[in-house]
Amino acid sequence: MTKQIELSGVNKYYGAFHALKNIELSIEKGTFVALVGPSGCGKSTLLRSLAGLESISTGDLKIAGELMNNVPPRKRDIAMVFQSYALYPHMTVEQNLTYSLRIRGIGKAEAKKAAEEVAATTGLSQLLGRYPRELSGGQRQRVAMSRAIIRHPKAFLFDEPLSNLDAALRVHMRKEIRTLHDRLGATSVYVTHDQIEAMTMADHVVVMKDGVIEQQGAPLELYDRPANKFVAGFIGSPAMNFVPATVGADGRSLAVDVGEKQTIPVDRQLEPGRVVTAGLRPEHLHFVDPGQGVFRLPVGIVESTGSATYITTSTAAEVTIVETSRRSVRTGDIIDISVRPSDVHVFDDKTGVRI
Amino acid sequence: MKRLLSSIRDGRGFDIVLVTFPLGFLLLMAGLPLLYNVLMSFQEVDMFSLGTFWRPFVGFKNYADLFAQPETWPILGNTALFVVGSIAGQFMIGFGLALFFWVNFPGASWLRGLFLVSWVMPGLVVGAIWNWILSGDFGVLNFILRESGIISGNIFWRSDPNYSLYAVIMANIWLGTAFNMILLSVGLASIPGDLYEAAELDGANAWQRFWTITLPMMRSTIGAIIALGLIFTLQQFDLFASITSGGPNNSSNVTQYWAWDLSFRQYDFAKGATISVIMIVFVMIAAIVYVRSTRHEVRG
Repeated sequence: MTKQIELSGVNKYYGAFHALKNIELSIEKGTFVALVGPSGCGKSTLLRSLAGLESISTGDLKIAGELMNNVPPRKRDIAMVFQSYALYPHMTVEQNLTYSLRIRGIGKAEAKKAAEEVAATTGLSQLLGRYPRELSGGQRQRVAMSRAIIRHPKAFLFDEPLSNLDAALRVHMRKEIRTLHDRLGATSVYVTHDQIEAMTMADHVVVMKDGVIEQQGAPLELYDRPANKFVAGFIGSPAMNFVPATVGADGRSLAVDVGEKQTIPVDRQLEPGRVVTAGLRPEHLHFVDPGQGVFRLPVGIVESTGSATYITTSTAAEVTIVETSRRSVRTGDIIDISVRPSDVHVFDDKTGVRI
Repeated sequence: MKRLLSSIRDGRGFDIVLVTFPLGFLLLMAGLPLLYNVLMSFQEVDMFSLGTFWRPFVGFKNYADLFAQPETWPILGNTALFVVGSIAGQFMIGFGLALFFWVNFPGASWLRGLFLVSWVMPGLVVGAIWNWILSGDFGVLNFILRESGIISGNIFWRSDPNYSLYAVIMANIWLGTAFNMILLSVGLASIPGDLYEAAELDGANAWQRFWTITLPMMRSTIGAIIALGLIFTLQQFDLFASITSGGPNNSSNVTQYWAWDLSFRQYDFAKGATISVIMIVFVMIAAIVYVRSTRHEVRG
């Protein structure tokens, strides 16, 4: 596998503000990478640095093996899909698509043919003569993608491209983008604040916070073995429950503090007496018959969506449980909960690092 | 009666009242004088018939007489040159400045505001300033041209028939550039920045971005500015009055100054009105262009 994009020791400063901190990232050709994190975490800055719209302060940025630190955007051969789409409002769809080709001096007939080919694959054939203002949000989104595809660039950059679409269309476009990526054999970097988008679309997810890469890896790796409390809380929906806990005398159990101390088993040896934070995913907590669970919790709020029931406890450290079986449960009930020892995540109480 | 009152307070009657006031004002203050002017251009007017409304009709005689006069075509030519020269100069320098301030260096918006000083100054004051600059013997313009070796002898800008019109054009360009710059700056500021980023990633260099993004996106602004420029330059009177008075020998005379000169200095009111009517036609065309170009705003 060849490395299509490589970042080593990349830092970015805006005056005194340290926007990107020592970024190490290497993207293989053909992979779909998602940059995810809360707003202001630096993911957009990182993407814009790849495009060349921002310059990096220190470190190396290589695209297809070439050092790109000081190469202007127009010579990087990278296509970007903007959040606002940034379609040229004074040009028809066809002119939008062929803009980059015309800039490069490719003939009219050839450009037109290329536009028609791309339009056929993205379902825009009927719209080539329209202006962007005459298109719906989903159609504009398709034009923005087609404009990127037509160039066969070294990499595709997506800057929250779906955030202006309604929920149903977003789910649909998610699949469409991923299908397109696979068909083109493209290398894509996709910025989003939506962890579901990142998890479902990407081969490789990069979680960022405050300009630092907190963790990167395959989506399920991040879900199964989050490196710290931040990643654990960010990946997965509803978010992971965190409860204060103390390691038991045997080192194989945790005394969790949910209103009262209750003991749950863990699958690895820990330092007895250590104060930690236990992480329990809502979907890993199962509602079982009385006497079968590892701990008991009082029910606070019950929300049913039909496919699942979300139960929030009335304990001091709130615990959310997602139950897919239809058990009748009401506020004020005491329910028995089971959890597999391997599903219990343990984090250092102070640093939040996984233990 | 009650229904009428309630309609005026809250209904169609109220709308009609609202429309009536401005319409009445326009008709009284602009419409009637305009029509009176058109009427006069078809009448025989002299000092003794000034006070009457119905004077002898002469058909197109005033128009025919006007175009039979030897100075008419040269003055129309001067007007065309003045309009084209002024607009071209104001627009190009104004666009250059707008692009310059668009770079947004520290203090750019503050400096840009200062440029408006030239525009808010009264035309007669601007004329006086330019009289000093253009002065043949000790003017600073001649000094600069002489010292930089462009001319060997002094040019008498205001009294040389070959230069007098250009003297006024220069002053008018100076006067109108700031207004052009401000309107063009507003147009530039309304172009979304991400279009330039998209174009840059699409491979366009600065020159190509200017021609394919900036200019087309500015089309309605530019149309409006050219139309306004035509209207403003055809209104320009103060500079002629203060710099050359249309002379020497009509070499810097233009229709708007000539119309005033004929009416109020030579008391040939009919001819003055006739020239005004011809100018109204041109201003109307400009007004239509202006209205059309501001209506077709292209915004994604």
